[in-house]
Amino acid sequence: MKREAFLLLMPGVVVLGFVFALPVAQVLLLAFDEGPGQIGAANFSKLFVDSYYPLVAERTIRLASLITLVTALLGVPLAYVMYRAQGWIRSALIVLIVLPLMTSVVIRTFGWLVILGRGGLLARTLDMFGLAPRNFSLMHTETGIVLALAQVLLPFMTLTVLAAMSRIERNLEEAARTMGAGIFATLWHVVLPLARPGIVSGSLLVFALAVSSFVTPMLVGGVRLPVLAGAVYQQMTSTLDWPFAAAQATLLLALALLVILPYARLARARGG
Amino acid sequence: MRSKIFAGAGLLALLVAHDVSAQTELVINSFGGAYERKHRELVIDAFEKANNVKIIVTTVYSADMVAQLRAQKAAPRFDIVHLSGGLEATAAAEGLLSPIKPEQLANYADLYPFAVQNIAKGEGPAYSAAVVGMLYDANKAKPAPQSWLDITNPAYAGHLVLTDLSNNWGLLSFLMINKVAGGTLDNIAPGLDIVKKSLAGATILSKSPEIQQAFAQSDAWVAPYAQDYAFTLTQAGLPVKFLQPKEGAVFSPITVNLVAGRPNQALALKFIDFSLRAEASAGWAEAFRYAPVNRKAQLSAEAAAGVLSGEEATKNLVTFDPIKIGQMRGAWTEQWNRTIAK
Repeated sequence: MKREAFLLLMPGVVVLGFVFALPVAQVLLLAFDEGPGQIGAANFSKLFVDSYYPLVAERTIRLASLITLVTALLGVPLAYVMYRAQGWIRSALIVLIVLPLMTSVVIRTFGWLVILGRGGLLARTLDMFGLAPRNFSLMHTETGIVLALAQVLLPFMTLTVLAAMSRIERNLEEAARTMGAGIFATLWHVVLPLARPGIVSGSLLVFALAVSSFVTPMLVGGVRLPVLAGAVYQQMTSTLDWPFAAAQATLLLALALLVILPYARLARARGG
Repeated sequence: MRSKIFAGAGLLALLVAHDVSAQTELVINSFGGAYERKHRELVIDAFEKANNVKIIVTTVYSADMVAQLRAQKAAPRFDIVHLSGGLEATAAAEGLLSPIKPEQLANYADLYPFAVQNIAKGEGPAYSAAVVGMLYDANKAKPAPQSWLDITNPAYAGHLVLTDLSNNWGLLSFLMINKVAGGTLDNIAPGLDIVKKSLAGATILSKSPEIQQAFAQSDAWVAPYAQDYAFTLTQAGLPVKFLQPKEGAVFSPITVNLVAGRPNQALALKFIDFSLRAEASAGWAEAFRYAPVNRKAQLSAEAAAGVLSGEEATKNLVTFDPIKIGQMRGAWTEQWNRTIAK
């Protein structure tokens, strides 16, 4: 039985090795390249020579955490509504959530550029209520990045949580209600704990995507609010210092793992 | 059985057709937007029709283009690359380009010396030349800027647009500001100080269409940038004018280069020659006020008044050592990023 499982896994593992493990290993090795024939950690010490890259890293992690929180706050209630909905309403909601995923992320981000810019939809709405002048703009701000990226990544959170919720038995909720629990008490004590694995997976997915995203932060945030992935892109294409870019990519990987691993372990430990 | 023969024949025909088309195909880059549209009109589409070939155009800016050529050195995917900002010097020095001999270009004799000055070093010829100076909104920017250092003028605060160093026009305008402030290519601290002073009232953008949008929608009044965009914006109905600040303007030839290690060198050379002909030169001048490279270009009266034509006009413009730019670019970008980061 074990041998069959091994043989079935082999093709997938080999492919994964080639397209994932090998390139990642190459990048890690490249980070230690100090020039022709020299190996060392000079690229890493360059990262910490002043506070610029640490600040970029801090911004990347902070924004990614914020985005994960926002998508969780929006996505979990949305998933619950979709889970409770029946028939055509549920299908319509699923289509609404999935449809943006079929458009390129660049197009979706451009939509945000129009909404967030001066004289855009957001500015005009706020102006109507007297909350901000017409030329108010969230472009080139961290708030704009969080908004745009949260919307882009919302489907990932919602669908993951919905999948987890779908496995909850309906009678559990009804049982709680018949025992006298209100709607919110049922949600808090029955639905959320049972959906926790889904919420954990969803947040891990969104965090990983947010921390490595560079298109939306570059377009919405501009060049004055760099994130690590954007800095890597710039090094690769404009400054052409590939070993240094590899060092930055390694830093990004290390920081992401630093957040993800404890979170995943903690969630599993509490029965998630 | 017959259907199998047809299927086999069809597949064979497809393979042969693909192979044949690979012989009559050129892969090039252009710079997108209004520029690329004009490029197609003046050179690309005309060449395709005249020679019955297919040209595949990808929008890649010069710095990105050189990065890609470096990555593809063993098996390049582009036949011809258009580069600006002196990057052709870097590409030639790294052996990414095939040198072109004067006798290979039918239009060589008609070109101004500045367009072919570096052919011996392996660079391609210039097919148009841009001037980098100051764009300003003639109605709103009062007083009109006179000097490169006017970007620190508080009258323009909130309406100033600076361009990131990843864009060649941004790089050249920054180097000019640095020069005027007393810096050199080895010391860009004076330039960075000026930028820091104007940062509070400035937006920093990186792509040409963004600059256009800034003037059209985001209330920009002043932007150091290239002359071609001033004309594009004027054509779009905006009251944007170009001026050469009193300290001078930067001269930047845009070159067309032959990539080394590709099979279609003869066809590619034909394309390069086609890019240099008088009609194309005149077309660029009419559309964007680029300085023509071909002596025989016939310009309308208004175009002739608006472009810098001939050796005399170009003598007063500033250029920066492209090899030095290629070497220092990385270090400059690091310092620039730290200056502009919030």
